Amino acid sequence: MFELDNVSVRFGCKTVLDNLSFSLASGEQVGLLGVSGAGKSTLLRLAAGLLQPDSGRLSNTFLNPILVFQEPRLLPWRPVIENICIPLRAKGMAKNQARECAGYWLEKVGLRDAAGQWPGQLSGGMAQRVALARAFAMEPDLLLLDEPFSALDPGLRASLGQLCSEYLEQNRVAMLCISHNPHELVEITDRCVLVEQGRLRPFEPDHLQDDEARKKMADLLYQTLLG
Amino acid sequence: MKTVMQKQTGPTSRLWSCIGVLLILAGWQIAAMYLGPMLMASPLDTFKNLVPMLTSTHFLDNASVSLWRIGVGVGCGCLIGFILGVLAGHNACLRGLLEPLRWVLMAMPPVVVVMLSMLWFGLGSPMVIFMTVLMMAPGMYVNTVKGMLQVDRNLVEMTHVYRFGRWRKLLHLYLPALTAPLTAALLIAACGGVRMVVMAEVLGAESGVGYALANAQSVFDNTEIFTWIILVLLLVAVIEFVLLQPLQRRMRQWQENDHV
Repeated sequence: MFELDNVSVRFGCKTVLDNLSFSLASGEQVGLLGVSGAGKSTLLRLAAGLLQPDSGRLSNTFLNPILVFQEPRLLPWRPVIENICIPLRAKGMAKNQARECAGYWLEKVGLRDAAGQWPGQLSGGMAQRVALARAFAMEPDLLLLDEPFSALDPGLRASLGQLCSEYLEQNRVAMLCISHNPHELVEITDRCVLVEQGRLRPFEPDHLQDDEARKKMADLLYQTLLG
Repeated sequence: MKTVMQKQTGPTSRLWSCIGVLLILAGWQIAAMYLGPMLMASPLDTFKNLVPMLTSTHFLDNASVSLWRIGVGVGCGCLIGFILGVLAGHNACLRGLLEPLRWVLMAMPPVVVVMLSMLWFGLGSPMVIFMTVLMMAPGMYVNTVKGMLQVDRNLVEMTHVYRFGRWRKLLHLYLPALTAPLTAALLIAACGGVRMVVMAEVLGAESGVGYALANAQSVFDNTEIFTWIILVLLLVAVIEFVLLQPLQRRMRQWQENDHV
């Protein structure tokens, strides 16, 4: 369980999260929406352990939280397969097993043939698929997605979104996902939360029971985002 | 498709380098003819002396001592500079603490260091190695710190998320990211180290290339002096072109591939 109790985060004199309380249970999938600078990424970074709150209480019992960034963040000097193997080795996996696991996930994202290539030889979409494969290979118990598809074209967004949905369906892991697209978000989450000036505005989970309700919910979120 | 880097190191550039070497040889020959054999040995006399010199025990004894001093001095200097650079790159307090020492060592003339080293260690290898370490470490330190501060913060975050240990961070993040400053520093340290060792040996050693040079100078044996100079230049060329440049190319292999 990831829990924030009256947490505040400040960068200099700017308060990014203001006495915010939030909880995410094991296996729960939550979407985060909000305008740029609202504090969504800060929330994700708290969950990933990259940030500590200035005040309030943070508790995180997830053992293996993995954050997928907006950009792929691959090591440019290591071949694609090594970019997946190295974190697996850091997790304690044997060398052969890590290569096998990396190969499996590269196959799943359709990049088996790119295993020996350098990240610089990949297109943006391919590199982001490798980043997703790296995250999935780690078998996270909490998956944190920070607009991982925002820089991709609509076709690629759809195919990677599909891949993500399949993964989440098969492995019921907890997820916090940021997106600027409410329609995309309501499809893959149990509930959505709107982040506004460092505070949260929840949307009831009952609203996401069927397709029509999801669409209405997405429209409502979209209208709220437009202000 | 060739990249700009490949074009710069292509056959045209090598041809110009060969022309440059020939121009230096021509200039040397003209100067030798003008100054006479008492002041400057000609290229021909020098190269004629190379083969007998290379097979003599005199060369082997002195060259091996100098090589050992260069290896230990440059190796230790670079290692100390690198380790302190990595630590200081992580810790601003340590960086501030080491800054005055770095400044003193870089600003101090090498001859002063030789004099002090002779005073503390007497003549011989400990003095030469000590002063080489002292002169080589700051360059490596500065390059490492600069490189550490320029490592991509996004990648540092990524290694944190994926819980890379210290060793994995060093091996897979910092060392490859530092390739450019480190290889440049290694090149400067190795070539500078050769010069430093030879100078220290000229001033205060009982063996080594510098000692042999000082002896040749005392008996006005210009041919031997120039032969030793050529041998020192060959050693620097081997370090640069046979060891460091291939290492640099290997470490930067990933950059040679264009984005599709």
